[in-house]
Amino acid sequence: MEPDVSIETCSMIRVAVLPIGPVPHALLRDYAAMLARHSRIELASISSFYTEHQKSPFAHQPWDSGLLQFKFLLGGSPPSPWEDFQSHRKVLAVIGICHCPSSPDLDEAVDLFGSACRGYASALVTRCFAFSPGDSQLEDGQNREDNLVLFPPADMQTQELHLLTMMQDIAASLLMEFEKWVLKAESSGTLLKTPLDSQASLSSEEVIKAKKRRLSRAQKTIGDYCLLAGSPVDANAHYSTALELARLTGDYFWYAGALEGSVCALLIDRMGQIDPVLEEEVKYRYNSVIMHYRKSFIQDNAQRVSPLSFELEATLKLARFLCRRELAKDVVDLLGTAADGAKSLIDASDRLILYVEIARLYGTLGYQRKAAFFSRQVAQLYMQQENRLAAISAMQVLATTTKTYRVQSRASMSKNSNDIISSHADSGKTHNQTVLSLFESQWSTIQMVVLREILLSAVRAGDPLAAWSAAARLLRSYYPLITPAGQNGLASALANSAERLPSGIRCADPALPFIRLHSFPIHPLQVDLIKRNPARDDWWAGSAPSGPFIYTPFSKGDTNDNSKQAMLWVVGEPVQVLVELANPCGFDLVVDSIYLSVHTGNFDAIPISVKLPSNSSKVISLSGIPTAVGSVKIPGCTVHCFGVITEHLFKDVDCLLLGAAQGLVLSDPFRCCGSPKLKNLVVPNISVISPLPLLVSRVVGGDGGVILYEGEIRDVRISLANAGTVPIEQAHIALSGKNQDAVISVSHETLQSVLPLKPGAEVMIPATIKAWQLGLTEHEIAGSKKASGSMGRPPKDNSSPMLLIYYAGSLASEQQSNNEKVVPYGRRLVVPLQICVLQGLSFVNARLLSMEIPADITENHPKAASSEVSNNEVSFPERIDSLVKIDPNRGSWGLRFLELELSNPTDVGFEISVSFELENSSSDDSLSNTKTRIDRDHSSRVLIPLEHFKLPVLDSSFFMKDNAQANGPSGRSPSFSDKSTKAELSACIKNLISRIKVRWHSGRNSAGELDIKDAVKSALQTSVMDVLLPDPLTFGFRLSRNASKDENGDSDTHNVSSSSTSPVVAHDMTRMEVLVRNNTRETIKMSLNITCRDVAGENCVEGDKATVLWDGVLNDITMEVPSLQETIHRFTLYFLVPGEYTLVAAALIEDANEILRARAKTTSPDEPIFCRGPPFRVRVMGTS
Amino acid sequence: MATTASFVIVSRNDIPIYEAEVGSAAKKEEAAQQHQFILHAALDIVQDLAWTTSAMFLKSVDRFNDLVVSVYVTAGHTRLMLLHDSRNDDGIKSFFQEVHELYIKTLLNPLYLPGSRITSSHFDTKVRALARKYL
Repeated sequence: MEPDVSIETCSMIRVAVLPIGPVPHALLRDYAAMLARHSRIELASISSFYTEHQKSPFAHQPWDSGLLQFKFLLGGSPPSPWEDFQSHRKVLAVIGICHCPSSPDLDEAVDLFGSACRGYASALVTRCFAFSPGDSQLEDGQNREDNLVLFPPADMQTQELHLLTMMQDIAASLLMEFEKWVLKAESSGTLLKTPLDSQASLSSEEVIKAKKRRLSRAQKTIGDYCLLAGSPVDANAHYSTALELARLTGDYFWYAGALEGSVCALLIDRMGQIDPVLEEEVKYRYNSVIMHYRKSFIQDNAQRVSPLSFELEATLKLARFLCRRELAKDVVDLLGTAADGAKSLIDASDRLILYVEIARLYGTLGYQRKAAFFSRQVAQLYMQQENRLAAISAMQVLATTTKTYRVQSRASMSKNSNDIISSHADSGKTHNQTVLSLFESQWSTIQMVVLREILLSAVRAGDPLAAWSAAARLLRSYYPLITPAGQNGLASALANSAERLPSGIRCADPALPFIRLHSFPIHPLQVDLIKRNPARDDWWAGSAPSGPFIYTPFSKGDTNDNSKQAMLWVVGEPVQVLVELANPCGFDLVVDSIYLSVHTGNFDAIPISVKLPSNSSKVISLSGIPTAVGSVKIPGCTVHCFGVITEHLFKDVDCLLLGAAQGLVLSDPFRCCGSPKLKNLVVPNISVISPLPLLVSRVVGGDGGVILYEGEIRDVRISLANAGTVPIEQAHIALSGKNQDAVISVSHETLQSVLPLKPGAEVMIPATIKAWQLGLTEHEIAGSKKASGSMGRPPKDNSSPMLLIYYAGSLASEQQSNNEKVVPYGRRLVVPLQICVLQGLSFVNARLLSMEIPADITENHPKAASSEVSNNEVSFPERIDSLVKIDPNRGSWGLRFLELELSNPTDVGFEISVSFELENSSSDDSLSNTKTRIDRDHSSRVLIPLEHFKLPVLDSSFFMKDNAQANGPSGRSPSFSDKSTKAELSACIKNLISRIKVRWHSGRNSAGELDIKDAVKSALQTSVMDVLLPDPLTFGFRLSRNASKDENGDSDTHNVSSSSTSPVVAHDMTRMEVLVRNNTRETIKMSLNITCRDVAGENCVEGDKATVLWDGVLNDITMEVPSLQETIHRFTLYFLVPGEYTLVAAALIEDANEILRARAKTTSPDEPIFCRGPPFRVRVMGTS
Repeated sequence: MATTASFVIVSRNDIPIYEAEVGSAAKKEEAAQQHQFILHAALDIVQDLAWTTSAMFLKSVDRFNDLVVSVYVTAGHTRLMLLHDSRNDDGIKSFFQEVHELYIKTLLNPLYLPGSRITSSHFDTKVRALARKYL
């Protein structure tokens, strides 16, 4: 069988084209191509070369319209045993091609050509074309008489013209030879045989038969020559005769041959004008041809030779003739029949040709899958011939099928289909149907087989790149269907192929790993970019969302736009992109290098190498540095793995994941590696802008974070350095985040003073911070942390305040391409003050402790007390040494403490010191030098004495600081209500509390303040009035021996002397005086009562069993005490029984004003105001 | 029952959504692959032939060597394709009709995305039972 046959093949003259001497491959191909352009020579053009020696047998030669057709066989072909049967199978001419520069000796070339022509006995014309000869060769050639034709070196056109002339010459010569042959055949006749005719036993009957057949065979052959000579009418006449004769002799084989020739003559006669009638005719005749070929099948020599190949060739010829979409059914039937015939073909190469032809015809018909199927059959036949050339052929044939089976290499994929896929991938949410169409023809079994066969043939053909590519496609697309052992095999196939490849070779088909975009870390806070608003002084404002709401309906459009084009990279500043790699296969994958592949040319990617264990995925960060202003597109990553560099596009994986989500592809490589599902990431438009300043911050001395106890105050220094290449010209510090008030001060001036900050310059900014109080939950966290023993690590929370430093370079605007002036971006540096607040002293309880110890009535102490009762009690700080003191206003021993119970849950010791700020002294008044130490895991109570706060005078200013009306004598004002009292009260408490400072120290450099405001407030809420305000009246008792001299003249000197040891003796007149002091600014009228009680609390002055006698007035003493003055009332007691007695003075205030009422907390204005002094103790000694 | 038979359902997008080797012959991987190739190639013929007739059952549309491809095209252009070596048109037709019903039941499943792979084991069992019954 022969390839590429058609009905017209019968009319083609075979010409062997042979290279003579060494001819470079490329040149030979060029010369052959030049020849091939002259495969049709018109009869009209050769008339000048033609000389009619005798009368032409081709009577009806169409000299004006006919043509000779050539079929060039480069390299020639062996003689066919069927040459006699079909003359077009003969090689009728030989053309040698000689490249003169490489074969200098023309004689040798001529000899070579001569010996080459000897193999072609049937050749009627031989010529040797010698191209580009040298000068000497030209000279030599001109004297020659042989068939060597020299083509002088010239340009292409001239050479073509020369060649055409020579071809016309050949054509004319051939034509004359044909005439000669035909004339000879007509006259003498030739013996024509085919392999079908039995050679061995020619019985007499057979001999007679053969003689009869000879004539018809001769006529058929003459017809063949007529066809070759381009004279279809003559051919037809001869074929008709031959058909007639062959039918008579039963020579079916030759009958079929003649019939084939007649169809060819018919078609040539019609000059390609095909109409349905002609088509029907051709179909009819060819069916007959096929039938007769089949009929000629002879059983006895079927093993040796069979007309089957002619039958199949005829079938293919008809199929080729009919091969149009409308006639697809007929063609398919014919090709089906032809394919069935393949089994019976003896020769393997015949089968190969048959399948090739079937595949080509199906391809022409548009049945790509059928074509691919037969192509694969061809490849399999090639693979059966175990040699390298066949393997190369198999590989190439398989490569043509890849498009149909959708396993083509990316290198051969058309740009168009890529675009379609990308448009699908970009739109993200595509309709199900379009998604389905993306995965069209996923015949995974078939695809795997094809890829495996390509791999196998590539390995055998020694094409490592093709093998690598096939293995990569196989592994990448079908890993779920391949056993781990198979995957390992593929991996080693990749490695083996890579060994034979030069290093650094690229392949269009990516292998492993799968790479998807994980995320673009939007600018780290440290290098945040801010659009500058040049119109405003605070240029950063407006760029950040203002207002309390995260979402505002008005800004929606803007934010959407921003998110799409938000990515801004700065020239020279490294950026990172996170990608996720997955290796779903059962072997460890070593990625030699991976980096972002950027085609825009303004990005330097930094490669890294990764090792991926089997069945694992990993998120890695790929970095690079933008190098020029412009936009950056990142379509994927470039990976150097298995020795070959490949580009992995993100969109391919996106497509794959989309398909996996729909259940259309086998498996999601990331999912099977245990990686969580990711949202489809939209790749932002990345643009690179020109360099900006870059501040970097560092907290001096505190690398990780400052660990502070609650309330601790610490100075930190923040070092800011300009790491960019542009000086900073504007800068501003702002605070943000939680616990902003923890930052007590930041030195704005320091920063302002160093501007502009040159690149590389550094500035220190001091700041003072105070640790805040931990909330309840934070305490718990801290507690649990402590329990688990991980105390050292600061808890990761965002409770630390942040310093926002807005800075920018010069305002000089850049000229953009669209002539729009653009102010360069400003920047924001966020310096999180990493403060880790540890639980410090914890406050447990606060109580107000208050008790009174009755004072002994002595001569001296009350005196000392009274001397101190001198309004400006506050100016006696020396009295603070002792905590137990006499209440100067009451005269009794008063103890009034604020008790704070503190516990120390930390592991360090604390020292507490308490101080107040007194009202009219600006300096801190250190209450005591003694410090309370609280060891770890202990608790302790700290007492804060409170009487220092007592006001010296009870006046309305205390209550009515801002209400002048209340001071009016007219009486009660409506505004003097409970409500305002409460407000005043709380203000007063606040005032009080703010003056108490509990400071602590721990270790060498931890110091702070305890925040006890709330605790104290709650403890004091009820009794603040008592704490703060003096009673309106102060009562004091004393023995008045000295005074009695002044008053009564009675002197009792004994008692005076003994008063120090035993002041009061029973059965003695004891002179006493009660001292009433008015603490208000008004004169108070009152009636004073003095009572004396014994130990049991019985009134021992009145009643039946009175044990004390008295002199003077004790009850209802009406007295009037002027403002801030004292009045003394004297009396004498006579104790009958020794023991302890208590003297209490009480007064009923008459005509009390509002202040007094408020102090006494009266509810109704008519209620009498009763004022009672503290009890005084009298120890009465016996006389014995 | 046929010695060799391979059954494939091909969705309208030319994706095989169900594949089964239902022949009684010893299963060979090589052969199964060849069956797939033949069925895949036959799609070309079906695609033209389906529009020339109103019948769903297209009988045998293609052959390779002694294997014949019979096709049944549903209204939604899903193709039930059977590669077989026996000539039992009636049995094949019944088989196709029953499988068509099964396929429609699958389509009615709201969780089944038309055109995606049929993974139901119930469907598989039923199809294999039908193959034993009719082929």
